[in-house]
Amino acid sequence: MIDMIEKEEPIISEEEAAQYDRQIRLWGLDAQKRLRGSRVLLVGLGGLGAEVAKNLILAGVKGLTLLDHEQVTEESCRAQFLVPVTARGQNRAQASLERAQYLNPMVEVRAYPDRPEDKPDDFFLQFDAVCLTGCSRDLMVRVDQLCSQRNIKVFCGDVYGYYGYMFSDLGKEHHYVEEKPKTVKPAQGSSDGPEAKKAKIDPNETTMVKKTASFCSLKEALEVDWTSEKAKASLKRTPVDYFLLHVLLKFRTDKGRDPDPQSFAEDSQLLRQIRDDVLESLAVSGDLLSDDFVSYCFSEMSPVCAVVGGVLGQEVVKALSQRDAPHRNFFFFDGRKGNGVVDYFGPN
Amino acid sequence: MVQLVGSLRKELADSLSSCRVLVVGAGGIGCELLKNLVLTGFKNIEVIDLDTIDVSNLNRQFLFQKKHVGKSKAQVAKESALQFCPTANITAYHDSIMNPDYNVEFFRNFMLVMNALDNRAARNHVNRMCLAADIPLIESGTAGYLGQVTVIKKGLTECYECQPKPSQKTFPGCTIRNTPSEPIHCIVWAKYLFNQLFGEEDADQEVSPDTADPEAAWNPEEAAARATASEKDGDIKRVSTKEWARSTGYDSIKLFNKLFKDDIMYLLTMDKLWKKRKAPLPLDWQQLENHARPQEDSPGSGLKDQQVLGIWGYCKLFQHSVETLRSQLEQKGDGAELVWDKDDPPAMDFVTAAANLRMHIFSMNMKSRFDIKSMAGNIIPAIATTNAVIAGLIVLEGLKILSGELESCRSIFLNKCPNLRKKLLVPCVLDPPSANCYVCASKPEVTVKLNVHKSMVVFLQDKILKERFGMVAPDVQIEDGKGTILISSEEGETEANNSKFLSDFGIRNGSRLQADDFLQDYTLLINVLHTEDLEKDVEFEVVGDAPDKAPPPPSNQEETNSITNGNKDSAQPSTSSKGQQRTESLSWLLLLGSVPTVKYLAVTSLNLTVNRTPREQEHLSEDKHEPAHAEITRV
Repeated sequence: MIDMIEKEEPIISEEEAAQYDRQIRLWGLDAQKRLRGSRVLLVGLGGLGAEVAKNLILAGVKGLTLLDHEQVTEESCRAQFLVPVTARGQNRAQASLERAQYLNPMVEVRAYPDRPEDKPDDFFLQFDAVCLTGCSRDLMVRVDQLCSQRNIKVFCGDVYGYYGYMFSDLGKEHHYVEEKPKTVKPAQGSSDGPEAKKAKIDPNETTMVKKTASFCSLKEALEVDWTSEKAKASLKRTPVDYFLLHVLLKFRTDKGRDPDPQSFAEDSQLLRQIRDDVLESLAVSGDLLSDDFVSYCFSEMSPVCAVVGGVLGQEVVKALSQRDAPHRNFFFFDGRKGNGVVDYFGPN
Repeated sequence: MVQLVGSLRKELADSLSSCRVLVVGAGGIGCELLKNLVLTGFKNIEVIDLDTIDVSNLNRQFLFQKKHVGKSKAQVAKESALQFCPTANITAYHDSIMNPDYNVEFFRNFMLVMNALDNRAARNHVNRMCLAADIPLIESGTAGYLGQVTVIKKGLTECYECQPKPSQKTFPGCTIRNTPSEPIHCIVWAKYLFNQLFGEEDADQEVSPDTADPEAAWNPEEAAARATASEKDGDIKRVSTKEWARSTGYDSIKLFNKLFKDDIMYLLTMDKLWKKRKAPLPLDWQQLENHARPQEDSPGSGLKDQQVLGIWGYCKLFQHSVETLRSQLEQKGDGAELVWDKDDPPAMDFVTAAANLRMHIFSMNMKSRFDIKSMAGNIIPAIATTNAVIAGLIVLEGLKILSGELESCRSIFLNKCPNLRKKLLVPCVLDPPSANCYVCASKPEVTVKLNVHKSMVVFLQDKILKERFGMVAPDVQIEDGKGTILISSEEGETEANNSKFLSDFGIRNGSRLQADDFLQDYTLLINVLHTEDLEKDVEFEVVGDAPDKAPPPPSNQEETNSITNGNKDSAQPSTSSKGQQRTESLSWLLLLGSVPTVKYLAVTSLNLTVNRTPREQEHLSEDKHEPAHAEITRV
């Protein structure tokens, strides 16, 4: 679907040209047009979701659909900036709608209060890209399986306290372009003086190079086999965040929620327990994840949402505009160290 | 037992709600930063910005909507932030941080200062204020996909000015006036032309052929003769371009013929220039009109501004813009001057037309208005996501500072692609202060090479103390045993000295000057090194500065930042007039936020140093100092 630039409106209006000027100068008009023809689904309007929503709406996608079954709580008002303080008790997606729309009236923003689990397959298939935050592992795996085979770009992301990650599945064959400087041939012949007697070639000229990248499914990415010799050898270079992610996803599956500061003591203990179980089941050393992480993965930290939401938002933009090399396939952020790594997990 | 308030330890959460912080700038980074601060739990925030909202800000400065265009950024940012956090205590200042009201005492009110700026002059200034007040400062910048954050703490880390940052590149006068070889030379020429015709005339912005061009002479005697002739002629010929234009009634065709035909023909007589270069081809209005083809409408898929017209199209554009600017000038009355502004359509049209006509004359491919606007207006492309990431990192550093964990603070670089160690975000340990930093050393001192007989006091004040050494309101005394006051920051006090030469005051080789900026609590001792031997177009040199040079070519690593936005591995020069220096190339450590459409703020350039090949030690889990390997200056 997104290989075609929106045929209805090839012309960028003056309003768009003025508003998007600074980004058109960065990623070019073609990229902007592709964005303009793209529809995105965003699941989850917590701290991370709000950041992604903002970034995509500002970028100028055609439509952004917000899906969230949660209600606005006191905590949500602190966590994100789209929900008005008066919206307590309302549905989070619907409460975010007005402010989201104000960010850019040229984008069609919609909001639905349903559980993503309750949505039929068809629902997901109407989009060019799907972005899942705050979702259970099972849901993410299911939606990824459903969408990526239909060339719908799939993204997942979460923030747990100081930690955050994003994952992308752009399909088996994601085509994109990269802009490279044109190599200028040196002047021929020594008889030419310091400046050859011919028309000047602009040294700043560039050329677009076509490339393809291949992505695996989320299921494959999460089910890496660590028992093989090769995998064991690579453990040393593997970000531990990958294992932390497993722990946090399991917590979410088992408890139906994320670690809650209100139940710090019990949740901390459970986290340590789950850590032990997960590492054992993956057949990796229990030492990989020390106890340290436990007190730093509660609640969505706003600056961490900003960082992860920024990277995730930009990945969605890149994928939709088919411009620039996508990160493959995980990005992990550790807010305590300021470390942000991109790494690939999945079959080779 | 650890107690959490949200994600944070209780003690930290408590100190956040009581401390006061200052955000300098409410643009791209500022909006994101304000949002993060408020959501993280900071309660007392002051934000200052002198600028107003422009429609081109709306793609990323998300606290602003279309209806706010024209309003104060600081004010609207505050109002929008209060919408999602009504209990925050936010004070907004629509003002310049360089205003003396914001003195050291003012800065001392804050536990933390965070810059969200886009120009070097303000960064230098805030750097000094924070050193003087001994308040931690978090510096940051972005450009396109790249960004960085760092922490500055007096005595502990480098200050912003510890590492010399190459100044903006300028082109020699004869390149601009006689032998342009790149589009940028023609664009600079066109901006100079605008000022000469419609704006503030500047002796450094001549557009007419330079007869004293050393390259034009076949032998040294001729060069000397040319130089003296040019100086003498000056007295007779110094009918300013503006006066001449006025005398013709700003007749666009007469102007056209002088600039694009007569002056070019004059250049052709300087035949040595064209021995090894392709000679320029003068334009003839009448001929072009006769040959004009109706402009083909290009398929409407591109932006209108991205079209490149034919030569006649630019002739007409030149004519039209001259006429419009002429009436703008008339409307303003006697002695009026226009200030060039990229967002003023006739001003931009004028530069587009004049630059393209000149490019065509010198056999360069003409460029679209869109591209010329980028270069002439020093536009830095900007997006929301980069700013969002950087602003997030700023707050995280801030939390470390407030927790008393300064040793865990880092400089963090945001790359476009992951480096060899798979890092997209690269933290680096902070460097200690530089022992001979001319700002934060205990007794800062520099040596400046200049010609005491040819350097005026006002030159020392404006170009050296203010522009080069970042002072805002300098006071200078000569260390001559008498403490003779050379420059006083009090208005009018030493105005009589302005056009006198330094030698008139007995300043000579080996003299020492004490320069103070009391607002910045900054004293700089200047050793004067007299020389008659400076390069052409160079009026002073700071001993110890790296010479201006083109950046080395990018290394071959694929991992390296590919700054390939079609632009700009070459150093971009200042294309601005002195009152409005808006060259913004990128700084070591500090990239820029959004570019304001400020008319009066002096902005100086920065240079980007990108971490290309980090030499990381294998046994460290974290990167130690990542030395910069390549310098890239871009607009």
